[in-house]
Amino acid sequence: MQVVVDGLLTNYESLGSGKPILLLHGWGDSSKGLRSLQKTLSVSARVIALDLPGFGGSESPRSAWGLDEYAQFIAHFLTKIEAPHLSAVFGHSNGGAIAIRGLGRGWLQADKLILLASAGVRDTDKGRLKIMRYATKAGKVLASPLPKRTQQRLRQKLYTRVGSDMLVAEHLQESFKRVVADDVQADAKTLTLPTLIIYGEQDQDTPAVYGMAFHEAIDGSTLEILPDAGHFVHLDQPQRVERSIKDFLV
Amino acid sequence: MKTVAVIFGGRSAEHDVSIVTAISSIIKPLELSKQYHVEAVYVAKNGAWFWDNKLKDIKLFSSGAIEQFIARTQPASVQFDSGLTLSRGRGLTGRTQRKKIDIVFPSMHGTYGEDGALMGLLDMSGVPYVGCSLETAAIAMDKVLSKQVAAANNIPVSKFLSFTSREFAHKQSAVLERITNTLKYPLFIKPAHLGSSIGISRATTETELRNGLEVAARYDDKIIVEEAVQNLIEVTLPIIGNDELTPAYLEEPLVSAEDFFDFDTKYIRGGGKKTGGGKKGAQGYSTIPAHIPKDLYQKAEALGLSVYRALGCSGIARIDMLIDSKTKEVYFNEANPMPGSLYAHNWRQKGISTMELTLRLIQLAEARHRARQAFTTVFNTNFLKQF
Repeated sequence: MQVVVDGLLTNYESLGSGKPILLLHGWGDSSKGLRSLQKTLSVSARVIALDLPGFGGSESPRSAWGLDEYAQFIAHFLTKIEAPHLSAVFGHSNGGAIAIRGLGRGWLQADKLILLASAGVRDTDKGRLKIMRYATKAGKVLASPLPKRTQQRLRQKLYTRVGSDMLVAEHLQESFKRVVADDVQADAKTLTLPTLIIYGEQDQDTPAVYGMAFHEAIDGSTLEILPDAGHFVHLDQPQRVERSIKDFLV
Repeated sequence: MKTVAVIFGGRSAEHDVSIVTAISSIIKPLELSKQYHVEAVYVAKNGAWFWDNKLKDIKLFSSGAIEQFIARTQPASVQFDSGLTLSRGRGLTGRTQRKKIDIVFPSMHGTYGEDGALMGLLDMSGVPYVGCSLETAAIAMDKVLSKQVAAANNIPVSKFLSFTSREFAHKQSAVLERITNTLKYPLFIKPAHLGSSIGISRATTETELRNGLEVAARYDDKIIVEEAVQNLIEVTLPIIGNDELTPAYLEEPLVSAEDFFDFDTKYIRGGGKKTGGGKKGAQGYSTIPAHIPKDLYQKAEALGLSVYRALGCSGIARIDMLIDSKTKEVYFNEANPMPGSLYAHNWRQKGISTMELTLRLIQLAEARHRARQAFTTVFNTNFLKQF
């Protein structure tokens, strides 16, 4: 169903009853990507999964948003649906970074945190980022005499080749730039709530070292690195992920 | 051989479903029948009309290539020349191609298509068209009006109230008070003119009610708030006919319309082997015929046919009903003048192939057109000579 939050039509699904758990999807994904996990967890809790603004069935932000705006928006959403205090918040990829920012700044209130292949560590690959930035700028200059449609095609090819999420949601490019420039490790260091951290060993997008960084930052957190799993850990190892989360929530 | 123009897409939230209906349930079977020339007319989300054989391929839409097609193709235009003629400029020379249309098969859902807007345009052109008339489509697509018409014909409807979005914006507490004083939770809040499940909320508390009204007010200028039917069994009945009606099976949907069409689209993209019977309809997404006691089945079928007549439907429509399984009361819920994919899966089980269905709908359109032409609308007089 939908609700209007900060003027934006926001799509969400609430399953089950009891203390609320919030599921936050990653960049380019939507609440549908977490539907199986939502159904499993809803046996013993009220599990809310929303489409973040710009994704799935939710309207796009009217300006470029960063992690702050996304986290504050979620706080407003939770107030609107009368679930301001969560028993747990779950974040996959960019959803994890938003959860850390929201909890770290006190915008979100939760008893437990689950990070699945969370993004938010931005300084491990600075060299590659710099090269990409220069390559993009040079490419822009070289391609400028070409027709606009050809420029777009070349851009698409470049971003696909380097595995960037820039064009996953083309309408949110400016938001994407802001989000990926924002590091949440300092926020993670302020967290004291019980935290479960799960990463896939084969994850290329948010490698397991990010998990180690968060594990070190969050006191008393538990880290699991699952073999034979990439960035979409919950799709590669669904039963294992569900079991770990269920055990953690008990 | 007569030419049928299938018009689909449109400026509607149900744009995508309309594409699936047009290509899978109308264009393909009509072409296979080899009885008509079929022209595909696509109305883009921005309102521009396109006419091209490439538009008959679902891959153009599913791959996203439609955006490039729109960017490099000159929109078509429509001439009202005592009929309807499609026209477009082609190639470097800009040579104009024209095609006289004999029958139109509208395949639009929601605003500017299913609500009578397109039918008005077609009435002006004087060509026969498939489906309900302007008046019926306009009433059927207004959840408040259709309930009022049904109630005036002694057809049971669940208790409801309606408001304008403006009323809600300016007198929020008065609106909330009137609802909570008149209706009992749980409530459904719906935009009055939208199809599928767009903008619909269920409320069990005042906060949920307020939230639901806010959402509906974003989609429509008219909002309906209804009491939920208890012990609910939802059923739907596709019907074809002008004067003599043929009902399909009473069908019990198991999933929301949104999921159904999601599935349908994927299925078509996946290869389109959508034939075959089986006990379940819509590939297991609904039960056909609905598993309900015989007396209740007959009651619901009779009510569906009464609604079809009361609203003045012709050609095809689908009537949605709500059953309270304890009290055995059947309520009219809403009517759909252009059922998604024509509900071909249901008709197939009834023994009517999609090709047969589309051909029959064209015959019904021509029969209605002939009947309408028999009425006097213009005549010659010397009236102007006195001036």
